[in-house]
Amino acid sequence: MKMWQPLKSFWRLITYNLETKVGFSIVALFVLTSIIEAIGGYRILPYNPLKTFVGKPFSPPSVLHPFGTTKLGRDLFSMIIAGAPNDALVSFFVVGFSFSVGGLLGAAAGYVGGILDELLMRITDTFFAIPALILGMAIAMILGPSPYHLMFALAIIWWPPYARLTRSEALRLANMPFVASAKLSGISGPRIVLRHIFVPVLSTLLVYATLDIGTVVLTYSGLSYLGLAVRPPYPDWGYLVAQYQEYIIYAPWLSLIPAGVIMVVAAGFSLLGDGIRGAIQAERGR
Amino acid sequence: MNPLTFFLRRLVTALVTLFGVTLITFTLTHLISSNPLVAWLGKSASIDPQLAQIYIKIYHLKSPLYLQYFYYIDGLLHADWGFSFSKGEPVAQAVSQTLPYTIQLVILSLLFTIILGVAGGILSARFHGSILDKTIRTLYILGYASPAFFIALVLILVFSLFLPVLPTGGAAPVGVTLPKPITHIPLLDALIEGDWTAFSSLLRHAILPSLALSLGLFGVVTRVLRSSILELINSNFIRAARARGVSENKVYFYAFKNSLVAVITLLAITVNFTLVADIFVENIFAYPGVGQYVVQAALSLDYPAVLAITLVYAIIIVTANFIADLLYAVVDPRIRYE
Repeated sequence: MKMWQPLKSFWRLITYNLETKVGFSIVALFVLTSIIEAIGGYRILPYNPLKTFVGKPFSPPSVLHPFGTTKLGRDLFSMIIAGAPNDALVSFFVVGFSFSVGGLLGAAAGYVGGILDELLMRITDTFFAIPALILGMAIAMILGPSPYHLMFALAIIWWPPYARLTRSEALRLANMPFVASAKLSGISGPRIVLRHIFVPVLSTLLVYATLDIGTVVLTYSGLSYLGLAVRPPYPDWGYLVAQYQEYIIYAPWLSLIPAGVIMVVAAGFSLLGDGIRGAIQAERGR
Repeated sequence: MNPLTFFLRRLVTALVTLFGVTLITFTLTHLISSNPLVAWLGKSASIDPQLAQIYIKIYHLKSPLYLQYFYYIDGLLHADWGFSFSKGEPVAQAVSQTLPYTIQLVILSLLFTIILGVAGGILSARFHGSILDKTIRTLYILGYASPAFFIALVLILVFSLFLPVLPTGGAAPVGVTLPKPITHIPLLDALIEGDWTAFSSLLRHAILPSLALSLGLFGVVTRVLRSSILELINSNFIRAARARGVSENKVYFYAFKNSLVAVITLLAITVNFTLVADIFVENIFAYPGVGQYVVQAALSLDYPAVLAITLVYAIIIVTANFIADLLYAVVDPRIRYE
């Protein structure tokens, strides 16, 4: 059965070792929760996350409220599930955008060379000198708090590493015989860049992207923590931490649980990415 | 290439990068805001037309974009970084008051990062595959995946509930008189003047914030050091040393010494990460540095301040890159002749 082959190799990749298994489970849980919550809305949650006094204020984690309740008696568990789609949407969009735009730019620059290549290198050098969080903060400040604005702000500053990575691979591939023969058989430049440069780099880019999604989650929740993602009372992971950190001594679970959730999700992506890289290397080494 | 040419070349690259930073931050922020006046003044623009007129005049908001950029650069070069209305003083003044605190925090945290990172790297390479190696690996993966505010909050919880030996807020208690500015970095000034009360108080207040930064970042060093040592341990000079009967610990020390080059290249990226994490840590520990200032500025739409601080961060990162390049050339002479 040929159609099962990609699925089979995907399964082999994610069950490669303990790291990939744990990483994939976390990532799958995060993505599924986000999708279900994005479709189902607040109705499918145990409590409406915006409704106050569904439980006694500041009650610690219990069976009724697995993550406890907030100052106004909101259910923290429901608030955290309700906040998941924001992180998923922003991180996958930003990485997907950077992947395609940065990857294609890098492939084109590495293949064409000359002024285009030099220009791209200088632009990426410049972006590397500015922490993404700061630039994202400046842009989000002007646009006003919203997950969509942050998504936009991060997308336009996140692509340079993808361009650099693809470019260095493209330099190597551009001198390969199969590219020369493609050129000789009259295939157009853009088509060569897409089919013969960009496609072979995909697996390297995918590993980097998997590791990178965790970084976007961290950056987004950082900006959200600073109050640049949502306005109260709407729940968002980073912002929940900021809202309840003043009760760190009295009710530590209120800020530590959302912060811990962010950590687990970020760790999930980095375990999965690291594991897949190891698996691919082992496969190639054989 | 002789050393001077090498130095000048890297210097020019650094300056070009900084010029690029001003271009990118300026155009991005100006293209996005449809009405720069509202971005500069917030809602007060519509309330006070007179103030709006003054701002249009000061910042040449009616001129074409390239002229505005020219005026901006001209101002930067004449130490006019704009007026920070969230602080009520010129941006340059506000930055010069807050930056020293950030610098002392970042330097202290780099120190912790190097100590933790190197110790972790050596131990996990020496005992690779052991429980210790795995524990260290788990710790740095968790540290790296933690948002900076998570580590900071955990430290505050632990040190105020169970282990109340270190202060968890501010840069110095109210009663302590700060040393006279010589280098403008308080910790260093106190040391130079031999003011031990101020020094120990400043140091004690800086320990937890800088530790919060390092606990998240030491893995960057550990990871690279571990793989570099393990790669070198199979090389010929190590095999020769082993054949001569050099002890295993000493052999690992040789490999470590040769791995230091790899650690130097991490300097710039570590500084970059530390500065970002520092924004959160300063806010949680109420530490009066640039990180706290930039958040306050961003939340009150203090546009000149945010632009200026972005540039300050870029200057620090580009300088760190520059230093790393030079160090690299000193340690590994082959770089100079490339």
